[in-house]
Amino acid sequence: MSKLKDALAAGGFPLVVEVKPPKGVEVAGMLAPVTGLNGQVTAFGVPDNEHARMRLSALAAARLVQEAGGEPLMLLTCRDRNRLALESDLLGAAALGVENLLLLSGDYVHQGDHPDAKPVYDADSVQLLQLARELMAGRDSAGNPLKGAPTFFLGAVVIPEAQPLGPQRLKFRKKMEAGADFFVTAPIFDLDRYRAFRREVVPDGVKILACLKVSSAEEVEKAARGELRKVYTLPPAVIQELSGGDPEEVLAKGAALAGRLARQLRSEKLADGVYLKAKGRADLAAAFLQAAGF
Amino acid sequence: MIIAERKPFKEIQEMVAPYGNVLIVGCGTCVAVCLAGGEKEVGLLAAQLKLARNLAGQAGRLGEITVERQCDREFIEPLQESAADYEAVISTACGAGVQFLAALLKEKPVFPALNTTFIGVNEAAGHYTERCRSCHQCYLGITGGICPVTMCTKGLLNGPCGGTVAGKCEVDPERPCAWCEIYERLESQGRLGQIEAILPLHPHSRTTSPGTVIHPAYLRRYAAHE
Repeated sequence: MSKLKDALAAGGFPLVVEVKPPKGVEVAGMLAPVTGLNGQVTAFGVPDNEHARMRLSALAAARLVQEAGGEPLMLLTCRDRNRLALESDLLGAAALGVENLLLLSGDYVHQGDHPDAKPVYDADSVQLLQLARELMAGRDSAGNPLKGAPTFFLGAVVIPEAQPLGPQRLKFRKKMEAGADFFVTAPIFDLDRYRAFRREVVPDGVKILACLKVSSAEEVEKAARGELRKVYTLPPAVIQELSGGDPEEVLAKGAALAGRLARQLRSEKLADGVYLKAKGRADLAAAFLQAAGF
Repeated sequence: MIIAERKPFKEIQEMVAPYGNVLIVGCGTCVAVCLAGGEKEVGLLAAQLKLARNLAGQAGRLGEITVERQCDREFIEPLQESAADYEAVISTACGAGVQFLAALLKEKPVFPALNTTFIGVNEAAGHYTERCRSCHQCYLGITGGICPVTMCTKGLLNGPCGGTVAGKCEVDPERPCAWCEIYERLESQGRLGQIEAILPLHPHSRTTSPGTVIHPAYLRRYAAHE
């Protein structure tokens, strides 16, 4: 039973807070937001070797989140696994009670801390959605029957500010066709651009979790210098608002901004919920919640 | 054609250090065009090795010979005789040529002087870029003559990843996103409908190495191998 699915279906504006699997086996820090915020958070996003940096497995972390009392939303990338491993991990997730999945291609290995690793991409994110759907229908990708079919609530990523938009739109349509139940956006700072995407590109009834991110001072400084090469932009007013102060102050301002954006997204019905990236920190997520008034 | 780069001199020098008489065998086809292993490059490598060996006081003879193609039996068979007086052979062919030569000269150590890099094109003098991963399943007819397997860093078959920034690849800001180019080309040709359908998983069973291709006209001759 996915609380995330129920909340999205009921128009409950769910909040997903991302945790950070450690590089190592000390998991207390990762679980701090789960134990600290559980009542106010619908699910906890569990990244899969985010930015191609090796960390504790998302599947293990998702189970740990569950054991700590939270509902996980497990990310699964195509970068590190062939179709056997993808399907096998999907079945493993289901058997461990992990139902919510966010399926993605995955950042390329050069961007991470194992640049000499072999990038896999046996499937792409569209095909991975299809694999998960096949498993739900009781078959693997080779057509073999399963002993017990899994239940999943399937998410995919969409990039509202993609330039050019045409190819991204094509991928978005394919993901819908492949069976995505909901979408998580790239981080949103520019509400005007996101508003245009929502109105022009997203069909009615498609569930969107808007990603809001608490930026580090380093990221803000990069954006201020015009050197931030990301799939999202920080508009000048946001850079101005976040700039200045020590790194902790920048984070606090970022959490407040994210909270304000969440409130606006909710009141304008521009999103169906929020996926919060707040460095995996419970205090920043709490500051966000306070600013959002949730 | 096959593109290759010469290995660092030190690596080549160390490989053949234990041997006195060494024959350097060039290849006159792909690697000659990409200025890595043709007759000229064999001459250059021989001169470098000779100088280094003289400085080190190492005795021995360095021979040079370049054949049309090392990946073709008829061109390398005469080398059996040429190699007889040498203790070791350096091949400046691609990996295929080195292996064919090593199989021919079974008793003799054969060393590669190149690192084979990709199947690519000659953009301009000295400038080569990859175009084909020889994946056994060509999508070019669907994707507007731009290969998603090769030109998309992730080899994605159903559209761009989420990392495209301003039409450039997530991995390299200088490189165009292959899927943006595919989209643009098909759009300009009014053929966007071709990439609307979801492409299925790639049939990697075909790419199981080592691959074999038998021309249909020769099926009967090689039936025993099938």
